[in-house]
Amino acid sequence: MKVIGRILMALSLAVWLMAGSAAAQQTPQPGGTIVMALGADPETLNPGITTGYAVGAVTANIFSGLIRLGPRGEILPQLATSWQVAPDGRTYTFTLRRGVRWHDGRTLSAADVKFSLEEIAGKFHGRFRIAYANVESVSTPNTGTVVIRMKTPFAPFLQMLDTFNAPIMARHLFAGEDIARSPRNLQPVGTGPYVFQSWARGDRVVLVRNPNYWEPVYAERLVFRIIPNAAQRSTALETGEVDVVTDFYLAKTDVPRLRQNKNIRVRFGQPIPALDFMFINTRRGPLANAKVRRALAFAINREQIVAQAMAGIARPARGPFGDGFKYAYTPETDYTRIYAYSPERAAALLQEAGVARDSLRLSMIFDAARAPLAAAAQIIRDNLRQVGITVDLVPLERSVMIDRVYTKGDYDLTVQSFTSNTDPAIGYHRIYLTAPPGQPFVNATGYSNPEVDRLLALAGQTPAVGERAKIYAQVNTILARDLPTLILFDEVGVDAARAHLRNLWQGLDARDAWWLTWVGK
Amino acid sequence: MTRGSLPLWRYILGRLLQAVPLLLGIVVVNFLLIALAPGDPVTVLLGEYPAPPEYVARLRDRFGLDRPAHIRLGRYIANVVQGNLGFSFAYQVPVTRLVLERLGNTLLLMGTAMTLAALAGVLLGVAAARRPHSRLDAGATALSLVGYSIPEFWLGQLLVLLFAVALAWLPAQGIRSTREEYTGLAAALDLGRHLILPAAALAFRYIALIARITRAAMLEVMHQDFILAARARGVDERRVLWRHGLRNAAIPVATVIGYNYAFILAGSALVETVFGWPGVGRLLFDGILQRDTPVLLGVLLLVSVTVVLVNLATDVLYAYLDPRVRY
Repeated sequence: MKVIGRILMALSLAVWLMAGSAAAQQTPQPGGTIVMALGADPETLNPGITTGYAVGAVTANIFSGLIRLGPRGEILPQLATSWQVAPDGRTYTFTLRRGVRWHDGRTLSAADVKFSLEEIAGKFHGRFRIAYANVESVSTPNTGTVVIRMKTPFAPFLQMLDTFNAPIMARHLFAGEDIARSPRNLQPVGTGPYVFQSWARGDRVVLVRNPNYWEPVYAERLVFRIIPNAAQRSTALETGEVDVVTDFYLAKTDVPRLRQNKNIRVRFGQPIPALDFMFINTRRGPLANAKVRRALAFAINREQIVAQAMAGIARPARGPFGDGFKYAYTPETDYTRIYAYSPERAAALLQEAGVARDSLRLSMIFDAARAPLAAAAQIIRDNLRQVGITVDLVPLERSVMIDRVYTKGDYDLTVQSFTSNTDPAIGYHRIYLTAPPGQPFVNATGYSNPEVDRLLALAGQTPAVGERAKIYAQVNTILARDLPTLILFDEVGVDAARAHLRNLWQGLDARDAWWLTWVGK
Repeated sequence: MTRGSLPLWRYILGRLLQAVPLLLGIVVVNFLLIALAPGDPVTVLLGEYPAPPEYVARLRDRFGLDRPAHIRLGRYIANVVQGNLGFSFAYQVPVTRLVLERLGNTLLLMGTAMTLAALAGVLLGVAAARRPHSRLDAGATALSLVGYSIPEFWLGQLLVLLFAVALAWLPAQGIRSTREEYTGLAAALDLGRHLILPAAALAFRYIALIARITRAAMLEVMHQDFILAARARGVDERRVLWRHGLRNAAIPVATVIGYNYAFILAGSALVETVFGWPGVGRLLFDGILQRDTPVLLGVLLLVSVTVVLVNLATDVLYAYLDPRVRY
């Protein structure tokens, strides 16, 4: 009995000690430096005038939005502490956080918010403009309140008010300036958790902790190292020179090796969906015939592309909006089922369409710098050769690719990749909506269907998820038949970080909320 | 300095004046090649979402891209003559400032690599020439062949895997430490540690090249009469080799280094990209990716000027040593 008592005491002591050390592990420690890899210098430090990736990575820590998005897309307060949305979805009233100061000491006011939305993001930001097109007015009844009235409701409007889309900038620094060429674009002054310190071009950008931030900010410094070579970014993570490499900059082929390393944590699954697809130029010869386009869908082995071009880190695509937004996916039109790989059916469809074997020769344009897309293009060429279609691969430099595909529409097939932020209406609708030719990153296939236009506009205005699912189901049926674009795969994001970092990835975007991460032992 | 037909200073001046139309021609050709290439620099700057047309128009206006090529060329030349290399599209700062920020880093890398290459290459070449067709000579020849064939970026990756990842002796990339902010001697040592791998990767090919040239030149010199005479006078063999032999073999070696300058710079662009070294070579590489025309033109002009000057220096050295060159 005595012995058992002792054992029990020892056990409880051990449990207590372990719990104690676990608690110490979980208590955030201030201090230290977090180092993140960037592939190139940011082109500016003004996040209001570009959608560039590196710009967002750095400036998400310097600037704030009215709201921020949590790891699962939850809308959390940032500069706004609360908000009301009128039942008709046309009026948003935001209450601003009190006592927020710009890094230069001035106090944030509602006028800054109005100025940022109207004069900066609403005019210059490629994504926010799409949301802002629905805004009727922004008014400021007092210095702590902002009221936004909409011409038409826009379902994802609230999500678009984060720092990546609508960063709040200081009116006193930009008013009366030519925004595009303001010197402030290189000397950012924000309200965010970190203050800009220095930028050695080609080497690093350094930010230091903002002592006046309203939430705890743990790491003393954030350093962004510019490492142009993808293999070197993985290596720097392995040697500990870098702490974080986000999906956009991570070489997929290095992922299996990084996973073996116990000092590195790898996170799979990307909250912000990204799609890779093949545009088909519907203005050209036999490609104008939907039967021929459907034949291409049967002939292309998307599982092979996922396995070989993406090292298995992707999902064969299921529909025109992927499967990242549940309400935009319809099981009945799932491409993995209705367009399951079948060269026989492809050949039969081509014959039905009157395309003789070995008579069709197509050009396939792609960005030479994007290895996965180049690999996908090669697999597609091999697949189509099986059904008697010859494909000439045309690797091009990015700006030339944009010119050929979007501006001139001079291509037969092209592989591309798009993201859509937090809603298909932001990034995916532009693939299918009728649009005048010649605009980069907008409908390159020449596809135009008034019914699709009507339904997509409706989907953008409908906040209720159940209603939206019904609308997208109708769109999916039409697009599965017309097939101007063949979706190849949904990307699976992979982010990697050193294991000593705690409380990782506290934002929907892997570049967000690094002030909540702390440096452990 | 009036040996021979023409005074040396007049020779130098003449060569400098010849360089002016050459450089102007280079500027025009570079400008037109880039201006005629398809693709639009502005589209590369604006991310993956459709940019507002007014914004695109403003950028075009700001960069002067809405004007015809010959007007842009005229303006560009007028600016270059005044020492203004234009305004970088991607960085939004003057190109001259960018190039000057980076030049020191590249000179440091190239200088270290070439010193390393000259020392190692000459030693290896002399050793090989001393006993031609020996095992050492065969080994040096094989090493030279390998060294000359390995691409710098690949060698760079191998060095990183061995010395940074596997052995953890040296940093994998960058120019200074990430977490520490050193000053004074500690900063210099930190820079030195970051310099070793890229300098070695860049030097390797030139060690091979210089060893080959040194060996051949030494073999030729060592059969000449004055060497025989020196030996006959009973001069110590080591002195014969280094003082008499190498001194005479050094000119072709120096010439090779001089004439390879442009290639060394190209090699440094690759090495700088692999190692994240913020030099002019990488500026060129990034300029190509971002279609940053003013940066591209600026760096190409810098390279052209450097090549012209280094060639001039090489020729002057020749002219000084051999007045017959000064026709």
